[in-house]
Amino acid sequence: MNVSGTARLNAPREQVFRAICDPRVLMEIIPGCDAIEQVSPTEYRGVITLRLPGVVGAYRTDVRLVDAVAPERSGMEGRLEGSMGSIAGRADFVLGDAPGSASGTVIDYTGSGVIQGPLARLDSRFAERLAESLISQGLRALNLRLAREAAQSPSPGGLRPTTEVSE
Amino acid sequence: MTVTSYFLPDSVPEALGLLETHGSSLLVMAGGTVAMPLINEGISLPGVVMGLRRAGLDRIERVGAELRIGATVTLTRLLDQDTVPMLRQAAGRTASWSIRNMGTVGGNLFTPPPGGDVAVALLALDARVTLTGPRGDRTVPLSEFWTGFMTSDLRPDELLTSITVPIEPGATTFVKFGRKHANTPAVVTVAVHLAVQGGTVTGARIALGAAGPHPMRAPGAEAAITGSALEPEAVGEAAAAAARECQAFTDGVASEWYRRRMVGVFVLRALTELAQPAGPAIGGGA
Repeated sequence: MNVSGTARLNAPREQVFRAICDPRVLMEIIPGCDAIEQVSPTEYRGVITLRLPGVVGAYRTDVRLVDAVAPERSGMEGRLEGSMGSIAGRADFVLGDAPGSASGTVIDYTGSGVIQGPLARLDSRFAERLAESLISQGLRALNLRLAREAAQSPSPGGLRPTTEVSE
Repeated sequence: MTVTSYFLPDSVPEALGLLETHGSSLLVMAGGTVAMPLINEGISLPGVVMGLRRAGLDRIERVGAELRIGATVTLTRLLDQDTVPMLRQAAGRTASWSIRNMGTVGGNLFTPPPGGDVAVALLALDARVTLTGPRGDRTVPLSEFWTGFMTSDLRPDELLTSITVPIEPGATTFVKFGRKHANTPAVVTVAVHLAVQGGTVTGARIALGAAGPHPMRAPGAEAAITGSALEPEAVGEAAAAAARECQAFTDGVASEWYRRRMVGVFVLRALTELAQPAGPAIGGGA
């Protein structure tokens, strides 16, 4: 399974990077995320519940930030595991300044994963469309969250850092 | 894990209670035409399943200038109503008799593309869905219901209980193109509702199926024909706009490249059909 895409976010790169590394923000923006905890400066553990037509299931999720260079890029290696199977993979994102905007960010992401178990019987293109849909929902939610933060805090970089990210 | 319990609640409150008790582990099923193949294939492994066919959601009734369709009304029953002709057309082009006898209108809204042909017609008809939860009912325009591929605005503690279709005068048509004539997934589905006054289009709703992560309107195409008399230039412009703005995808039925071109071709055909003097009657929606 391979996914890739680009999205524009209405916030500076520093703010976007901090948000992506903040478990509270992740909990809010990841569709179906029931719980998430930070177990080390670069590791997260959580539970995501997928509730799709004909399919329900909870997935234990472990994600590790790798090759992180704030506020430019990072990789995420992770594994989702549930009764329907598992998905192990890696996603990378690069943040760039949005052209023509003083405070916008363009995020380019790529990801690949290996599906095992009953889930693997799904057509891979079907799984890719599902993954792309969940990512775009997450990015829309992130953009809304960033806009809310900006409205609440008129000073630049309104989202306060809550975690240190190291390579 | 295999299914250990199957519930058949007799009412919506009972169904909501089961949803609250079992939470996200409960698989909600209406006709079962989406869920059962997934369960039989071992892709979906729910422990607890709730069927809605006895929950009292199987009424179809005209209420004033609206048609109210219970979520578990079967697609076959849409063939028996004349109130909204496009729904009869759409149901008739969906799957096979055996699927239509089991599949429901509510379930059709959750059928992933390229399925969900009736949902495309409902979108062109400006339908609304009623979502019922512990805090009561809320109504959502169908145009705002889907949030992505196989995802919607339905909250975990809610059930989709009915679909309301305004009965408006207008010209409508429904076109589905598949690899076979019948019982086939769509390459593209196009549903159109036009409001026409004195030969001029005063309002247009063009809905596309199998052309994105969920049924979607084509606003550029709608704008291109609004204010026109469906002249060939305006129709051609609308078709080109629809092909540009759709979010075509590749699957086992068709490639993204082919689908995008067929969106243009079939929007052109649908609008050309409506432009014919003997085309579907103006006022045929009522």
